[in-house]
Amino acid sequence: MGNPISAITSVPSIVAPMTTPGQSSQPGAFQNVLEGAIQNIESANNNATDSVQKFLKGENEELHTAILAVQQASIAFDLGLQVRNKVVDAYQEIMRMQM
Amino acid sequence: MIDGLTNSLEHYMDLLTARQKLVASNIANADTPGYRTKDVNFQAELQTANSALSPHTVEVGGLPVKNDGNDVSLDREARLLAENAMRFNLASNLIRSQLATIKEAIQEGKSS
Amino acid sequence: MSLLSALSVSASGMAAQRTRAEVLVENIANSETTRTAQGGPYRRKDAIFSSQSVPSAFQSELDSELSGLQGVSVTGISVDSREPERRYMPGHPDADPDGYVSMPRMNPAEDMVDLMGASRSYEANVSAISAVKDMIQRSIDLLR
Repeated sequence: MGNPISAITSVPSIVAPMTTPGQSSQPGAFQNVLEGAIQNIESANNNATDSVQKFLKGENEELHTAILAVQQASIAFDLGLQVRNKVVDAYQEIMRMQM
Repeated sequence: MIDGLTNSLEHYMDLLTARQKLVASNIANADTPGYRTKDVNFQAELQTANSALSPHTVEVGGLPVKNDGNDVSLDREARLLAENAMRFNLASNLIRSQLATIKEAIQEGKSS
Repeated sequence: MSLLSALSVSASGMAAQRTRAEVLVENIANSETTRTAQGGPYRRKDAIFSSQSVPSAFQSELDSELSGLQGVSVTGISVDSREPERRYMPGHPDADPDGYVSMPRMNPAEDMVDLMGASRSYEANVSAISAVKDMIQRSIDLLR
């Protein structure tokens, strides 16, 4: 019967591994989306922190502006979280395929 | 920017806030000799797309001037006080509904 | 400076109107006073209002000037320096040798109308505080 089945070797990743952004040599579509989401979270968070601090210090910042910045950071986080969940789900699905 | 509508509403709230601060100043100075009523040019500021700059304060003019040079009309200020508060109420409720919708949209994508 | 500074502005308005009301009440109460501690009849007083940048621990005066946000304060009480009215009342204990009494030069009816104005202005400042407080609370509610 044909060739003996070779041992299972590692298959070149279809999906890039979950490394920190920028370290992968093969950026996939999923990674870009995840990177984008993380950057969104970071910038929204920074903006919110700055805005709230400005308000607390009494500098020229309105309360509703600071609060909306906080909400925006919260939304960015929710979105990033869901994206990450989806990516992990997809990764796990693909990993299952290899068995 | 969360989305276009929220951004416009936030700009609207910025203007209403600036206006209300001036209404408070006008009311406090209703009996100050020589004081002229201040406001922001609401319509004009609404047109300028969501500017980050503070709205420009202008003197209203056209109001009857009393003997001591003061032209504050408590009727006008009381009306604006109520109007600004109601508009702000509307804008904040609209934004709340927007935020709730966006958050729900994100949550609905959750897999089981 | 945020909307919270409007609260200080309205509070300054309330304080100024209260002082104005107190002065007016003193005038009305003394409209017939012929003998004061300083000698002579009562002299009518006036509260002098002037715009004032809202004092704030945080923000500079320049900012409030630029944004047009101005409170008010009573910068002084002026005393009427005009000659008192002389009325012919020969039997009065304070009558001078010619039978004339020096009376306060004022019209209490005017001051009563002014007092109503001060009361109305005071209430307007109270309404302003209430409206602004409501707006601030709605901003906070956006967090929910």
